[in-house]
Amino acid sequence: MRRNLAAAKIAILSQTEYRFNFAVDVVIQPMVSTAIEVTIWMALLSGMGLETLGGFGRESYLAYALWATFIGRITTSWMYEFQMMEQIDTGRINGLLTRPISFYEFYLSQFMGYKLICIVFSLGLPILACWIFSAPLHLDRLPLVLLMLLYFLVFVHTLSFTVACMAFFLNRIYSFTPIKNLLIWVLAGELIPLDLYPEPIRSWLLLSPFAAGVYYPVSYLTGRIGTEAFLQSFTGITIGLVVTGLLARVIWLRGLRVYTGTGA
Amino acid sequence: MSIVIQTQKLSRSYETYQRQEGGWNVVKGFFNRQVQVKYALKPTDLAIEAGQIVGLVGANGAGKTTLLKILSGLICPTGGEVKVLGFNPFDRKADFLRQISILLGQKAQLWWDLPAADSFNLLASIYGLDKAQAKKDWLSLAERLRCTDQLHTQLRRLSLGERMKMEIIGSLLHRPRVLFLDEPTIGLDVLAQKTIRNFLTEYVNEYRPTIILTSHYMDDISQLANRLLLISQGTLVFDGALSEFVRYAELQLNLDIKSEETNFEEVIHKFFEKESGGGQNRHPISN
Repeated sequence: MRRNLAAAKIAILSQTEYRFNFAVDVVIQPMVSTAIEVTIWMALLSGMGLETLGGFGRESYLAYALWATFIGRITTSWMYEFQMMEQIDTGRINGLLTRPISFYEFYLSQFMGYKLICIVFSLGLPILACWIFSAPLHLDRLPLVLLMLLYFLVFVHTLSFTVACMAFFLNRIYSFTPIKNLLIWVLAGELIPLDLYPEPIRSWLLLSPFAAGVYYPVSYLTGRIGTEAFLQSFTGITIGLVVTGLLARVIWLRGLRVYTGTGA
Repeated sequence: MSIVIQTQKLSRSYETYQRQEGGWNVVKGFFNRQVQVKYALKPTDLAIEAGQIVGLVGANGAGKTTLLKILSGLICPTGGEVKVLGFNPFDRKADFLRQISILLGQKAQLWWDLPAADSFNLLASIYGLDKAQAKKDWLSLAERLRCTDQLHTQLRRLSLGERMKMEIIGSLLHRPRVLFLDEPTIGLDVLAQKTIRNFLTEYVNEYRPTIILTSHYMDDISQLANRLLLISQGTLVFDGALSEFVRYAELQLNLDIKSEETNFEEVIHKFFEKESGGGQNRHPISN
């Protein structure tokens, strides 16, 4: 545990070392994304002359858009995925392979440390926006949502680790990350709430572990779904974690066998 | 003396592919790649006793770093057996990793965006060291390497020599029993080389670790090593004491050594010259 906390602390120190980049990543980028998404939803509802869509009103979509971009940012992994790929591709992974800490564990600790500080610095923004626009928000549900998000982040990291391990075989795989993240955003319901999809797509999407990345936490926080429905996402994450974990282990072990310790 | 490193017919081959120049060959190579198998290390038998300082010398691409990477568990051998401190290195058990260290002179292993002091604290946590004692140790090592002033500067802002000193401290913090040093003085100025050599000499006398050292600077080898391994095109061609090497080279490698005062470094250079001049004869290890 001590080494995990130390690695998490290192992530916080490294990221806050570059203050401007940190501010853009944690505050400005979610604000811009939120503004774009809110504009799209409001324009859509006004343009179509609708008071409700799928049984939910303007305020509901406003709250969804405000939280979806914030939570979507939190549950997206690109920086540490990129770093893991770079470490494998360039051989800098050597520095970790010869230490008594696993590559997966080290980056999981870093990832969690960074996400924790992201939450601390940016959580006030959607809360403030909901208060200003009188959008529906169940603040009492926030602790449970944050706990589930931390669990989801373990799944997200495992997925990132799996993708990064492909670098053992293909070296340059940096183009995989944006494609993967785009897919996750769609599957998680960041762009469109999953309950708006037609059946049977809707049911399949709600069963997938990705729904726990945006749809379930946002819907629960904004009152779109109840506690029982929200807790279903735990099962989805667990199944996703087991499947991805097994896949990651196979790719990692095979990758190490073909690894040549590049460049040293 | 106990054997801490032992290999039997240890080898490593790589699959690579070659592509001819030109646009059409890029297209062809996209669909059909000609795979070639290359031996970086040919079957090698080796036994190293505790406390020995072994100089591993060879030309670029001779297989030195491959051998170090296998011994430290970084890469998997494709043939033969290897035991280091009783462990199979590639299993990378925590108990094994706590007792070894590898320093790759051409590759930064500390954290680029952080001051070295933060990296050392993290390493202390990773190795489960007492934090206060670890701090005392890295401060003492920094003092001996004369780099205390740079401990709180971001690694990326340090000069190559300063960075290498930090890397050395990072690799010694947990007092490894076996230390692999891959070109620790590469690219450094004469003064920095001397400082590092003198520091390593003191460290070796104090803690008696087993060391395998590779370097293209023969001063490193002659000052630190008490045993020499000469490797050429993946094959060990000499294994013995430094003092025996000159005589051996004269007799068995047919090198033209004119003066009786010819030193070890000159003989090594002559050997490399002969090798690069197309010498294809492989010589068996004499001892």
